[in-house]
Amino acid sequence: MKKMIALGFEGSANKIGVGVVTLDGTILSNPRHTYITPPGQGFLPRETAQHHLQHVLPLIKSALKTAQITPDEIDCLCYTKGPGMGAPLQVSAIVVRVLSLLWKKPVVAVNHCVAHIEMGRIVTGADDPVVLYVSGGNTQVIAYSEGRYRIFGETIDIAVGNCLDRFARVLTLSNDPSPGYNIEQLAKKGEKFIDLPYVVKGMDVSFSGILSYIEATAEEKLKNNECTPADLCYSLQETLFAMLVEITERAMAHCDTKDVLIVGGVGCNERLQEMMRTMCSERGGRLFATDDRYCIDNGAMIAYTGLLAFAHGSSTPLEETTFTQRFRTDEVHAIWREKHESGDMNGLVEG
Amino acid sequence: MAAVSELSDTPNQWEFSCDLEVDLESEENASIVYAALVVDKELQPDKVKRQMSISDGKLSVHFEAVEARFLRASFSAFVDVLILATKTIEELGPGMEL
Repeated sequence: MKKMIALGFEGSANKIGVGVVTLDGTILSNPRHTYITPPGQGFLPRETAQHHLQHVLPLIKSALKTAQITPDEIDCLCYTKGPGMGAPLQVSAIVVRVLSLLWKKPVVAVNHCVAHIEMGRIVTGADDPVVLYVSGGNTQVIAYSEGRYRIFGETIDIAVGNCLDRFARVLTLSNDPSPGYNIEQLAKKGEKFIDLPYVVKGMDVSFSGILSYIEATAEEKLKNNECTPADLCYSLQETLFAMLVEITERAMAHCDTKDVLIVGGVGCNERLQEMMRTMCSERGGRLFATDDRYCIDNGAMIAYTGLLAFAHGSSTPLEETTFTQRFRTDEVHAIWREKHESGDMNGLVEG
Repeated sequence: MAAVSELSDTPNQWEFSCDLEVDLESEENASIVYAALVVDKELQPDKVKRQMSISDGKLSVHFEAVEARFLRASFSAFVDVLILATKTIEELGPGMEL
């Protein structure tokens, strides 16, 4: 029996990725290219879109070549509809529309956050976990209920990854491979804990005040030799991650779930995984997490999630293949997670 | 590819306009590019208007704006995605090589 195959495009932030996957979650190829800015600088929409414009076509060829497939074998084309930066999102959307017409293939629009969750579930085998989705643009605690991924708690201002990235700019750490990775490495050398504000508001968290505080005090403290850059990285990580563990634990109590899945770029931080694992084990649960191949934005997660929807009869008409900067996780009807009568399952396996 | 920009004489809110015509060499290519680019509406419809049409394998685009800078930004962004669409056809269309 022929396996269904999807080609997926991700370009909502500073990574452009193209992935080829089958419905059982096998990744046939997943190349990506990251726009890396000089130390002390973030990435801006227009420049990032230019980066994506330059790399998307070679990535498609590389993805098809590695997967050893031709366009004929593809069942559907998937792209990130949002959330993310407008101009970079448009690159994937345009390419997908043109390919859909050239190759006569249907298109499936995918929510970026939902794609992270589905990728995490298939890679780790976590069935129905509480999900902590942490990245440069998003911070949410999510659990599935009645057809949708519900947001139990989230940041009320900036994302945790944004807080880390911007602090890396204060220290002018390298953005290669990512600012968060370099903070994590430096934090391992930290010895002294500096007290920082701790801001949990019910189920929600806030990071912008912590960032302002550490930005305002770091220079002075470093100048007076009160602490080292490593101490600051260590203290910032411990504080931010403790907040995330706290709201995740509260969501677990609400949902009566013992398993936790961490997804998103910050999810490959091993210190965060360690802290979360400790909390889970104290509650008799398990932590599911993945490494940078799956945590960080990639094309395969979009392809896989789009293919799940497509196998359940959903696709996006060309005139509706728009992109949007705001697209909440709970707006998506996760049809593939609903319990089906056995008769409805036939469509799943036919290619 | 030719672009012409002009100031109209009559006092008009849409004072700044410009036209772009691209020969895509076939009716099919022109319709693909048109269909791919017509989906995205202008972000500030009260400041920039864009109209597209195709005939004889050519894509014609007409821009109108209330200020020159909006015209420039819209035109420039459009050319970027237009080139992306045509390159995609060239590189991944019939006879593509991996």
